[in-house]
Amino acid sequence: MRKLWQQKTLILMAIPGIVLVFIFKYIPIYGILIAFKDYKAARGVWGSEWADPFLENFIRFFKNVNSMQVLWNTLRVGVATLVWTFPMPMIFAILLNELKGIWYKRTIQTVSYVPHFISVVVIVSMLNGFGSVNGMFNDVREWFGLARIDMNNGDKYFLLQYVGSAVWQGVGWGSILYLSALSNVDTFLYDVANIDGANRWQKIKNIAWPAILPTTSVLLILNAGSILNTDFTKILLMQNDSNRSQLEVLSTFVYYQGIVRGNFEYATAVNLFVSVVGFLMVYGTNMAVRKINPENNLW
Amino acid sequence: MASQKMKNQIYVGSRLFDAALIVFMAVLGLIFVYPFLNVIAVSLSSNQMISTGQVTWFPKEFNTLGYGLLFAEANIWGAYYNTIVIAIGATAFSLTLTSLLAYVLMLRDFVLRKPLTIYLLITMFFSGGTVPTYLLIMDLGLINSWWSLILPNAVSAYSVFVYRAFYRGISYEIREAARIDGAGEFRILLSVYVPLSKALYATFGLFSLVGVWNSFYDALLYIRDQGRQPIQMVLRKIVFTSGTSTMTEITDMLNNGLLNAKNVQYACILATIGPILLVYPFLQKYFAQGMQLGAVKG
Repeated sequence: MRKLWQQKTLILMAIPGIVLVFIFKYIPIYGILIAFKDYKAARGVWGSEWADPFLENFIRFFKNVNSMQVLWNTLRVGVATLVWTFPMPMIFAILLNELKGIWYKRTIQTVSYVPHFISVVVIVSMLNGFGSVNGMFNDVREWFGLARIDMNNGDKYFLLQYVGSAVWQGVGWGSILYLSALSNVDTFLYDVANIDGANRWQKIKNIAWPAILPTTSVLLILNAGSILNTDFTKILLMQNDSNRSQLEVLSTFVYYQGIVRGNFEYATAVNLFVSVVGFLMVYGTNMAVRKINPENNLW
Repeated sequence: MASQKMKNQIYVGSRLFDAALIVFMAVLGLIFVYPFLNVIAVSLSSNQMISTGQVTWFPKEFNTLGYGLLFAEANIWGAYYNTIVIAIGATAFSLTLTSLLAYVLMLRDFVLRKPLTIYLLITMFFSGGTVPTYLLIMDLGLINSWWSLILPNAVSAYSVFVYRAFYRGISYEIREAARIDGAGEFRILLSVYVPLSKALYATFGLFSLVGVWNSFYDALLYIRDQGRQPIQMVLRKIVFTSGTSTMTEITDMLNNGLLNAKNVQYACILATIGPILLVYPFLQKYFAQGMQLGAVKG
């Protein structure tokens, strides 16, 4: 207790941060309780009655016919995103590492980071413009002898645009971690490989690949948790009247139910479900990695 | 040991691979850059050329009407002002409060070090999510206030831990020396730790500024007053909610075929990313550094 008094300056320094974390992180965590309640704004989180039956808000979600469609949409987008955005930065880093000429390599690298700093509103605005009949994507289609079409109408090109732009934005930036792993490789290994007459492919397979493997598995574990956390703001902006039912994913569903319609407890229940599944995914992937490759798991 | 003939084969194969790689990377480089060039070119072309899909690399039938009308009718300057004030406010709050907390948590003999670390750690694994946060902001009466964009994200466990790891890299003896000279804790942080952490502040400051510049979701939720909205919300309005229909002059010119909707939309895209693209070449060193700072120390 005396020590507390002695360190009062330090405690004073920490207080603003502690208070902000309490208000903006802990109070919303407490607010999750409304997922199990029949929430009335006037009575507050604690004063509202418990839902009857207790899991009513969750049951309501699983009984809804649309819910399965929403779940399926989410999985489809999440898996497609992971499958494409995960390996691309890795391949890009390996190829960049093989590239000769420091200046050229730096230039490509610098240019590849630029899309990462573009906001989601800008990306979707660009997709919207490029996909229209006289937009850039249709210039490319015409170049290949295909007809000009409106790619924003309906959901046929949604996944292509969504995943394609995610790869475009993420490939350069995502390669940074792999490149730093590659730069730690002892050049002696390459000298030995040259003496043994290894070709380029053999060098990539036996030197570069083992060097980035630990980074790869850590990132895979972390990414697995986000399968249900689709880039929600992007989808929200990509939705229009012609594709809304096909594009609805869990997070946009939470937004519409919670913020737009005011079904606060229902939206919170769905959100809680998503968080729990995300946690289980990370845990499961970590277990799998531990089985396959015991050194590279997260915990 | 490989034979001489085999070595020659490998050499030729390797050179071919290099050549193919150079071409491939050049194509990739174009894919990263071309969309931006196309946006610039289209924004500056005539309706006739745009609607027939003839604009690719360079403007055709040069036309700056889109920019003129955008800046005259869409309150871009106001949105810039709002965004800059929010970005500077959020960054100042975040750097100051995170530094204070991280410094205290770094000290080995601080009594509350363990409990406070756990207190922060918990927030990395659990979060309230959209709706409870929204309800909180409403209860606090922060709707339409810029504080709703500044305060909730000012302190995060992740950045406190990265700051703390960075401070730990600074020798403890310097701190002891400053103490013996009679400096208080606040003084030590300000005149020893902060000057020695320039790389940390450069990257975190930059990321915070860019992050705020690019964010729109919090503003979509909390800021309803049109005049107080940041730049991303203006772009959203122009492109997605046919916000130009209230701008009479633009609507007239669209109807008369003097202007293409893309003139205004692409001009607005450029107005939104312009400031970032302008500073990027000078600061790209710090951007790349930031990714590694977080990855290694976090």
